[in-house]
Amino acid sequence: MESSILNANTVPVLEQVVNFAQKRHSILATNIANQRVPGYKGRDLNVDRFHEVLAEAIQQKNQPNDSLPSGLVSTKQGDPMREVRESLNGILFHDESNLDIEKQVAELTKNQQMHNMALSIMENQFRLLNVAISERL
Amino acid sequence: MISALDISTSGLVAQRERLTTISQNIANMSSLRDANGRIGPYKAKHVILETDHELATTSGAAGVKVAEVREDNVDPKRRWQPDHPLAIKDGKWKGYVEYPNVDMTEQFVDALEATRAYESNVGVLEMTKNMTNQTLRILA
Repeated sequence: MESSILNANTVPVLEQVVNFAQKRHSILATNIANQRVPGYKGRDLNVDRFHEVLAEAIQQKNQPNDSLPSGLVSTKQGDPMREVRESLNGILFHDESNLDIEKQVAELTKNQQMHNMALSIMENQFRLLNVAISERL
Repeated sequence: MISALDISTSGLVAQRERLTTISQNIANMSSLRDANGRIGPYKAKHVILETDHELATTSGAAGVKVAEVREDNVDPKRRWQPDHPLAIKDGKWKGYVEYPNVDMTEQFVDALEATRAYESNVGVLEMTKNMTNQTLRILA
């Protein structure tokens, strides 16, 4: 019963988004901390792959009230989503590092927005749930 | 989330260490003797940073640490001061005094860069705090 209440809406999906955003934030923080390390290559998690897997998981949810099968968004070792890829789209500097600080900050901000958006929606869902439980506005 | 805080903190520590070394270089730009009293011009020090794999998470995030502090090995500046008590007594450079060869421009540019790097870590720290606060708001 409780699981169907919590799984009927988008909460499980949002939970995955928040989880991913937090992991990615740690990795982007690593890039900023290591910006002056000679030869350091910027790291990133694969956002596109994450969105793909998430979309697949939502598609699999054939009935609107069906719960999200657990283990669909979580990945196995070796899945491209898990891999910390060395993002190669920066400028290569003389000390062989390739960090583009502006790009990193932009990514951090985007990631933060995604995280906060997911949490706002989640909060809203919980508020609705609260209203339903208490039966008054 | 907490690991992101630790990582940014390691960045702050590393950049502060750099700035400390730069201040040391600038302060010692005319030191002719080292801390042990040995005669010899001061040599500029450089902090070398490396990725700290001990402060790493399973998802690939890692901190930064100071790997080593290395001495510059440029030739000292020599000035013709034969009456100076520390003037070289014999050899090719007889009568010259060796002064540290600290490049001020280089030091100031480095200091500026370390400050900016420090600031960017503080920026990330603020973001992390904001995200953690947002996450905790679902409890309220």
